[in-house]
Amino acid sequence: MAKNRAQIVYSPRQKVGRAILWLFLLIFAILVIFPVLYIILGSFKDNQELLLGGSNIFPTTFVTKNYADAWSQANFAVYTKNSLFLAFGVMILSLIISSMAGYVFSRKEFPGKEIIYSIFVAFMFINVGSVSLRPLYELAVKTRINTSLWPVILFSAGGGQATYIFLCRGYVNSVPRELDEAAHIDGCTFFQTYARIIVPMLKPVMATIAILSFRQGWNEYILPRVFTMTNDNLRPLTVGVNMLKNAGDGAAAWNIMFAGATIAIVPILVVFICFSRYFMGGLTSGAVKG
Amino acid sequence: MSQKVDPQLRPTTRPPRPVDKRMRLKESGTVAAWVMLAPALIFLVVCSIYPFLWIFRYVLYNYDGIPAHTRFTGMRNLNTMMADTKFWGSVVTTFQYAFWKLIFIIPIALIMAVLLNQKLRGSSFFRGVYFMPTVISSSISGMIFTFIFATGNGVLNGILQACGLIGVPVGWLTDPKVAMAAVIIMSVWAGFGNYMLYFVTGMTSISEDVYESSRIDGANGIQTFFYITLPMLAPVLKVVLMLAITGAFKDYEAIMVLTNGGPGSSTNVMFLYIYNLIFGTGSNAARQIGYGALLSLVAAVIVGAVTIVYNIVAKKLDDVV
Repeated sequence: MAKNRAQIVYSPRQKVGRAILWLFLLIFAILVIFPVLYIILGSFKDNQELLLGGSNIFPTTFVTKNYADAWSQANFAVYTKNSLFLAFGVMILSLIISSMAGYVFSRKEFPGKEIIYSIFVAFMFINVGSVSLRPLYELAVKTRINTSLWPVILFSAGGGQATYIFLCRGYVNSVPRELDEAAHIDGCTFFQTYARIIVPMLKPVMATIAILSFRQGWNEYILPRVFTMTNDNLRPLTVGVNMLKNAGDGAAAWNIMFAGATIAIVPILVVFICFSRYFMGGLTSGAVKG
Repeated sequence: MSQKVDPQLRPTTRPPRPVDKRMRLKESGTVAAWVMLAPALIFLVVCSIYPFLWIFRYVLYNYDGIPAHTRFTGMRNLNTMMADTKFWGSVVTTFQYAFWKLIFIIPIALIMAVLLNQKLRGSSFFRGVYFMPTVISSSISGMIFTFIFATGNGVLNGILQACGLIGVPVGWLTDPKVAMAAVIIMSVWAGFGNYMLYFVTGMTSISEDVYESSRIDGANGIQTFFYITLPMLAPVLKVVLMLAITGAFKDYEAIMVLTNGGPGSSTNVMFLYIYNLIFGTGSNAARQIGYGALLSLVAAVIVGAVTIVYNIVAKKLDDVV
């Protein structure tokens, strides 16, 4: 198809039109990228300059002290560690749960399967907002797991699992059943078939789920906010930065907040730039094909 | 004996084998299957079903987070809701927010998708840039815009003043009249990339031949858009609108960070109002979890009703067009 397009010859008038369009795309791209650029460049300004404001987004004097301050004084080392733990925890848990459940839903017939599956799908759409965090919070307090980040990981993975199971089931459906049968004849059990045959075949969809669930864990906000209300040392970056903003005289700490926000977005942007194919592919395969 | 079987007899003994094999495949591993499904099932029960039932339990109770204080109050929560002008105000605010967000986000997403589809140089780079805001946490994007919209030292006022467009700094987040605009700008920035990508994906399925023939017939760009792209994109557009509508009604995380509903209650959407009832940072006495549970159900019903109305309208439009 690309070849076909390349053969199109544009008239001079069309060429001008396309140049104007291209310019428009560029200006729009600058507008979209501006807030992110502003925060990243601003994190290298000194606080005096930030408090002065103005229209210049480039730092007049380039300082890295904000990062040192954020890291040592404002507990950002701990926040970053927590964010990583949260993101990888949600990712690993989501991968294991959804691939196993997707495999079972695709390959196994058992009474009540359709009902169970439709409950999963129904809860993808039922959304009562933040109120459902209250019983989960009380449950975590009762079972005394609220002294770690584990409840946040568990409830985040549990809340997001339906979409991933949905993706996995669809993918396993497209894997020929003959492979399972061959494995079975060779003596594989139901689980061994999953581990040795299905999981290797699932690589593309697992990559998508890994990326999406990593982002979900890294970006989670309300859930960790509620669960770390009283414990600063459990807060991930998203919550930590915002607590700084709420803590009394916020203006004084603009430089720390700029640095903190940058620490929170740069890793996910790097992941996005490296794996943008999976980000965009995952989004559309989940919604349009489904 | 078995080795000496007459070859001609074989066909009669063979057919049962594959059936037998399939049967065993189906029956084997039932225990393993349940064990493998168990984590997902446990999560479903704990994270989805249990909280859902929990809400129903507290609708008729007064509950402030301390179990000993729980009291049955019957219809009182319902009566409170009827008289709660702040809640109904937040419902109106939610509709305003959703309306303005959709008015901007859908056309922008659609136009950018159409332009990207022109296959200009660097299209995939631009697509990546436009999609980028959607990978940033809503709490961080709320925070970034707090800095941008700051009255005294915010960069937006700085630029507008440098260009001479405004004389005095605009109180983006402190003036009730413009705070909603600030919230809309942020949420459009953060979300349009998603919808744009749906449109781009939808457009790749439109055959190149259709465009080819319309070009031969002399259609210009705008005609092509209205007579070819838009009608052929209708099914995708319907899904995207549905997602955008339900999404807009549920937004509150970024708004919480940006304005926390203020100034006054000019950007206090209903899910934010409910959040503050349930997890409010004030004293326990101010917390009204039972009441919040009732409002959550009402909010969910409102979102559901909007979705149903949208579906009816979409179907009606289908019949007309």
